[in-house]
Amino acid sequence: MFVTDIRKEFYEVVANQRVALLVASDIDALCACKILQSLFHCDQVQYTLVPVTGWQDLGTAFLEHKEQFRYFVLINCGANVDLLEMLQPDDDSVFFICDTHRPVDVVNVYNDSQIKLLIKQDDDLGVPSYDDIFRDEDDEEGGDSGNESDEGSEPSGKRRRFDEGAVERRIERQRAKREWEARRREILFDYEQYEYHGTSAAMMFFELAWVLTKDTKDMLWWAVIGLTDQWVHDKITHMKYVTDIATMQRHVSRHNHRNEDEENSLSIDCMRISFEYDLRLSLYQHWSLYESICNSSYTSCNFKLWTLNGQKKLQEFLADMGLPLKQVRQKFHSMDMSIKENLREVIEESSNKYGMKDIRIQTFGVHFGYKNRFLANDMVHACAALLESAEKDDGDNFINALDSLSRSNLDRLHSGIDLAKRKLIAVQQTVASCICTNLILSQGPFLYCYLMEGTPDVKLFSKPMALTLLCKYLLRAFVHSTRNKRCKLLPLIMAAPRDVEKGTVIVVGIPPESETSDKKNFFGRAFEKAAESTSSRTLHDHFDTSIIELKTEDRSKFLDALITLLS
Amino acid sequence: MFCVTVWFCSQEDGLRQILQEMESLYEQNQSDVNEAKSDGRAELIPSIKLRHCCLLRNQRCVAAYLYDRLLRIRALRWEYGSVLPANVRFHMCAEELQWFSQYKKSLASFMRSLGADGLDITQDMKPPKSLYIEVRCLKDHGEFEIDDGTVILLKKNSQHFLPRWKCEQLIRQGVLEHVMS
Repeated sequence: MFVTDIRKEFYEVVANQRVALLVASDIDALCACKILQSLFHCDQVQYTLVPVTGWQDLGTAFLEHKEQFRYFVLINCGANVDLLEMLQPDDDSVFFICDTHRPVDVVNVYNDSQIKLLIKQDDDLGVPSYDDIFRDEDDEEGGDSGNESDEGSEPSGKRRRFDEGAVERRIERQRAKREWEARRREILFDYEQYEYHGTSAAMMFFELAWVLTKDTKDMLWWAVIGLTDQWVHDKITHMKYVTDIATMQRHVSRHNHRNEDEENSLSIDCMRISFEYDLRLSLYQHWSLYESICNSSYTSCNFKLWTLNGQKKLQEFLADMGLPLKQVRQKFHSMDMSIKENLREVIEESSNKYGMKDIRIQTFGVHFGYKNRFLANDMVHACAALLESAEKDDGDNFINALDSLSRSNLDRLHSGIDLAKRKLIAVQQTVASCICTNLILSQGPFLYCYLMEGTPDVKLFSKPMALTLLCKYLLRAFVHSTRNKRCKLLPLIMAAPRDVEKGTVIVVGIPPESETSDKKNFFGRAFEKAAESTSSRTLHDHFDTSIIELKTEDRSKFLDALITLLS
Repeated sequence: MFCVTVWFCSQEDGLRQILQEMESLYEQNQSDVNEAKSDGRAELIPSIKLRHCCLLRNQRCVAAYLYDRLLRIRALRWEYGSVLPANVRFHMCAEELQWFSQYKKSLASFMRSLGADGLDITQDMKPPKSLYIEVRCLKDHGEFEIDDGTVILLKKNSQHFLPRWKCEQLIRQGVLEHVMS
């Protein structure tokens, strides 16, 4: 069931109890976790935090902890599947689920006792009504048997008529039931067909903190990072992003106004969050401007920087703005102040001439100490790079990424930024090589691309978030580079080797690229059906159903099944 | 722990050599003194004095070494608690173990005499800032019971928010790590 008053129905319930936090591996979940942890520290609620990377992990963690904990909080996992059936908990376990995955499973919505959803009942949930999906079987049976028992007491003369009446009624009831079941299947199919994302979990917990008036600037910053993560990884529509930014902006101005009345201004070490209408160039303040333009998907795709023509256009663009190459290639901090002052406006003006109307995006930046300025975008990239670093195992990665979000662990954040730079360069080079060597094939209802094992940096792309990012950039680049009008509207499936020893590949499907895309992804169900029909050995372990693992040998038959399914 | 075993390896060989050296010096001195007395050879006196100084110095060094060991053993009580791990006990001689148990006894009786029921002064060596601390598990430690009877599973890379006094022991042992954010 949906929780209406998050303070009474969630926080006050767990405040005196011990709680197990099961947190998924994405940045939004990490930010939500940090906010909840600070609230728990404030009120001394004992908890245990367990990172989970997929359904199997979730099951194992639950089994290990179910004896000791009664209350479980699931962050960014668990809403889109029938949780009670999967975990088989005892009757007194209560699950609080704060998950952005939609659609929410109907059993979770209509369970009143054990599942509490910390999700806003937005308009876009579209949950089917109770009567359409659930029906009490008892009434009909009772009616039938009642009639039959009546029959015995009636005189034999009328019995046949009554028999016929009863039989007719039964046939009618069965027909109605079959109709109802058919309608139910249709409704559920429509409801569960597309997968998408809702409001950020970090924002939900920030709202909880605000309602408790325990919100701090740190929590606000984490909420902003959680929202930005959804935008960077293309999980929400632009409209929703802008609306949520406006909500966050209200909180930011409220926090900033708190200190305006004081006579002494804030110390330089205090944290300041400011609204920025900043450039869409990834990590540009921690890199050189030139590198940032080359490696951000927006500019790279619009200029088509994998072609010679594109490179020339870039040089023209820089010349048009009057930025000398020497300045632009050095670290951003070392650029001349005169150039840095009006940089955003200058770039916006020139980009309009080159067809890039949205080079600036609304976002937030943080500033503490003399040297430390970060945009929300930068934090997301750094944290994501740490979370999926190939050098360490999952547990360490989770801990590193979680630590990098705290202000006191700046060195970790900087190492994350370095990893993010390498990741962006790798993505860019892979995109360029895929486009130039025509690795993207049109299979009819979708585009398909397979990363061979010898591709440089292929280890980076064995992780789901990195592969999804590559997939999105690749599709955007493809749409910009192809002349085939039909291909521009196709979705993309990408496969990359995951584990060479076990012989598995990871397959990701994303919806087609368009300005007004609603980001709804149908590949989850499609993958399931294709795997069933070909009995391919697949592992649907990830919380996003559009990401699966597959045995390399089964790849071709799986693809064929998909093609027939989607044609 | 590694540095403990390095310096704690009872320098028995070294000590034995020193004692042998002291014995030989003493014997030489003894014979020289007798000679000096009987034969009146005054030129032996500086060498006697030299040997005597060496003997005194050796005595000082050995005493200082043994005393330093005792101080470190005393510190072990504060760091490890009343039961020493086996590899540390291995390097202590019998007398040192006896001294350790007597020190333990006197510390315990002192703690009992404080306050109404006694006070464990080996807890909270630094003034605590909060009742509960956040700890991260560095290795799999299995199940761990806390005061109200609930059991926590300490698995690698899990984080917990627990009462400070229960965690101190495990933090010292290196199973848990205090996370400061």
